[in-house]
Amino acid sequence: MGCLTPPTMTVKPWKSTGGAVNIAYQMDSEVDYITAPLDQSLPSTPHMGDLLRRRGTRKMSLFPGGGVALGKLGMTEEDIRDEIESEERDLVKELAAMSSRDQIQAIRVLPMSLEDKKHIRSQVLATKQSKHGLQLTCCSSCSEQVSRVSSRLLLEECGAHGHSFRKFAANLASARQALELWQGTMKEVGGKFGTSVLSYFLFLKWLLMFNIFSFLVNFGFITVPQLVQPPNRTNAVNFRGLELLTGAGYFNQSVLYYGGYSDEKIGEHSEYDMQLAYFFTISAYLVMCGVCLIYSMARSFQRNFVLSASGSAWQLLCSWDFSMTNERAIRQRKNNLRVQLKESISEKNQGDKMTMSDKLKQFGIHLGTWFISMGLAAGSCAAVFYLCEYNLQVIIDSQESRSTLTEASTLLLPFVVSLINLVIPLLYSLLSKAERYSGPRTKIYVIILRIGIYFSPLLPIMQMIKLFILFYLKKVSLNQNCQPPRRSGRAAQMQTMFIALLFFPSFVGALSMVGYTVWRYEGPGAGSRWTCCLKPSKHCGPFQGLNSTFQAVSLWMSREDTVSDYSWAVWIFDNMIKSALFFYLITIITLVLIYFFWQVTQGRRLLITLLREQIINEGKDKAFLLDKLQKLQRERQTAASTQRTNTHIPQRFERIQEIEPDYDRDFGGIPGLPHVEENIEPPGPPVASALIQAMIARRQAEEEEEEEY
Amino acid sequence: MGNKQTIFTTQQLDAYQDCTFFTRKEIIRLFHRYRDLAPQLIPLDYTNKPDVKVPYELIGSMPELKENPFRQRIAEVFSEDGEGNMTLDDFLDMFSVLSEMAPRDLKAYYAFKIYDFNNDDYICVSDLEKTLNKLTRNELSEDESRLVCEKVIDEADLDNDGRLSLEDFQHMIIRAPDFLSTFHIRI
Repeated sequence: MGCLTPPTMTVKPWKSTGGAVNIAYQMDSEVDYITAPLDQSLPSTPHMGDLLRRRGTRKMSLFPGGGVALGKLGMTEEDIRDEIESEERDLVKELAAMSSRDQIQAIRVLPMSLEDKKHIRSQVLATKQSKHGLQLTCCSSCSEQVSRVSSRLLLEECGAHGHSFRKFAANLASARQALELWQGTMKEVGGKFGTSVLSYFLFLKWLLMFNIFSFLVNFGFITVPQLVQPPNRTNAVNFRGLELLTGAGYFNQSVLYYGGYSDEKIGEHSEYDMQLAYFFTISAYLVMCGVCLIYSMARSFQRNFVLSASGSAWQLLCSWDFSMTNERAIRQRKNNLRVQLKESISEKNQGDKMTMSDKLKQFGIHLGTWFISMGLAAGSCAAVFYLCEYNLQVIIDSQESRSTLTEASTLLLPFVVSLINLVIPLLYSLLSKAERYSGPRTKIYVIILRIGIYFSPLLPIMQMIKLFILFYLKKVSLNQNCQPPRRSGRAAQMQTMFIALLFFPSFVGALSMVGYTVWRYEGPGAGSRWTCCLKPSKHCGPFQGLNSTFQAVSLWMSREDTVSDYSWAVWIFDNMIKSALFFYLITIITLVLIYFFWQVTQGRRLLITLLREQIINEGKDKAFLLDKLQKLQRERQTAASTQRTNTHIPQRFERIQEIEPDYDRDFGGIPGLPHVEENIEPPGPPVASALIQAMIARRQAEEEEEEEY
Repeated sequence: MGNKQTIFTTQQLDAYQDCTFFTRKEIIRLFHRYRDLAPQLIPLDYTNKPDVKVPYELIGSMPELKENPFRQRIAEVFSEDGEGNMTLDDFLDMFSVLSEMAPRDLKAYYAFKIYDFNNDDYICVSDLEKTLNKLTRNELSEDESRLVCEKVIDEADLDNDGRLSLEDFQHMIIRAPDFLSTFHIRI
């Protein structure tokens, strides 16, 4: 059965050499989360939060003097051992009351050494087994709870079954890990270049997953029916090697292009309308894209920008990347940190010493480089536009003449575009060198912003294969060419920036383009006011013969059988999609909600500052109360010692008397007044001995009670 | 797969699995990494719980820790004897806390212990100065490092006692979203 005086736990503290070896003192952690805990790996059961918040303490700390100071306090080893054991018993009781899964997670997050955790675990298991042994049969208790709990929890309650279930879960976890893509590469890159560079590769991986998903959706709903029943082909063209580069010719009639899809209804028994399928699949896909992007952007924005700290404290204590293993990278990081710290000190000391003319000059340089970068972007746009027109002509010629050379010349445009894509970002980084921005971070943001603006008019659409190739190419180029980054970036914020860049230029641009081509407002009467959409091609594609793409949907809605079968859909279409009033209403409601949430955010920010002040005040209160306690004890001693002369108690009191509150040492000065710099010698019994003080007071009270009887 | 190994008993493996964030396979793999540090010292059979430690010099020569400026403090914090000589339990514990599955509070607790050079449960100015020296290769002047440490205390000390307690440190960590990914060693 459970052993109540575990030798392993109590022998260690009294090693004379180690001092506070594996004893950890953690006061009741009262860091109340101002927002919800941002750490997802904590399970959300209420037990967990309580356990972590209330029961941080496992053992008490020793003073720096080791056993000597203990004796000073007049507390025996026994007392401390009793205290530790009772805490351990409480902990075991709490853990035994949890479900298996919660128990394991709770044990894992205990701030103890592994040996102690194993000991606690064995005690918990022993307690549980003894609990079950008391009941008649395991199964009768199980059957009681059949109605209440799910079958999986039921398995866990029966101890024998619980074991195999845990094994299964563990196997599942290891199988999932084996499937993780690119795990080894990530480790290499993270080790050599740091977490911020790694974040780019993680972003690529996320994009790949996203694209796989979109591929599945599109393929399943559009391509597969088309492959099942291919449309009639006219002008069959033979496959030539050039098609892989130009994308024309043979591929024109295949499913790779819009023109390869028919507008017929597929299948005889249940009609699968290609027009509607095409339209709805693409819209659903775009909507899902948008939702995903907005969601992940909002989440990472909240996590990484809203509450993030900055400043020397963060730089010194939180920013060091422990996963770096490359010596050069580490050396460079250290240099960066040193430079940044020096900058922050000198900023603090000197203030802004730039004269007016300097400022003007700086401003002029910034303005100049911005103009140049905008000009470059506009110039490339114009160049691409004119090249497009020229290319169109070339394509028409090539279709008539069908010689290989003219077909190859259609490749001119893509080639030029790729060239521009390579060259311009280099120019941008050159430009940024010419400026002198205050912090390295601003520089990075400016460059990223410019590149984002540049790319958005050209609308790149990332493909799945390209991403795969891109990943490996980047890795190779990184290894060959790059040194570890000169500036230490902030990985989390970079991730947000990447997602934001993906969303705003690319997605919104793509969305507006597609919306422009597709939508058409059917106004009353034949001559409708909105004719801004593109008319689908007459000869190929799923929307042949219609006036606009959207007409496919409106025709479907007005058909007789649809009205009778799907009257709800028709009603939605008529009253929501077609009416402008509905959209106005939605816009107004959204704006009101935004305003409301913004106000809530402001309120929360105020709350944060107030709570912070409250923490400071409570610290001062604590110091004040401790001081009072000391004073009262001393008064009691002097009163008691005049009365009693022949009991053993005064010995203890004398020892306690040795603990004088030294304002400078213990409380860092009188609360509220600025204190002088100290720390020439290690401090005496720290303020953290509050617990010990309280124990002393309680013991005295008990002894006094005893004496009265 | 899991039943073929003869290094640990099933109970031992279960205990390791429940007390760390590692799966069975990873525990075996980590055991072999541990053993590779000192093959003649570490037996292949742990079923009778041998009491062996790998000395700190070998731990500090692991590629994951070799260049880390805090490797000595990390080893000291996680080792049983406080000197950096680690048993297998200490080894597993260390990498479990430093893995990506450990929650933020646990990591903050151990990070606090690592930065607390004099083990007095507070990060005082001398601790900060030592941290700074390790991070900047001793190249800041005394005045500069004192200024930096004072600035740190100003920013992070909430209860105004001139040093950082665990709560102050945790409060700072909550506002540093990067912390989970930077306080992380892959093995």
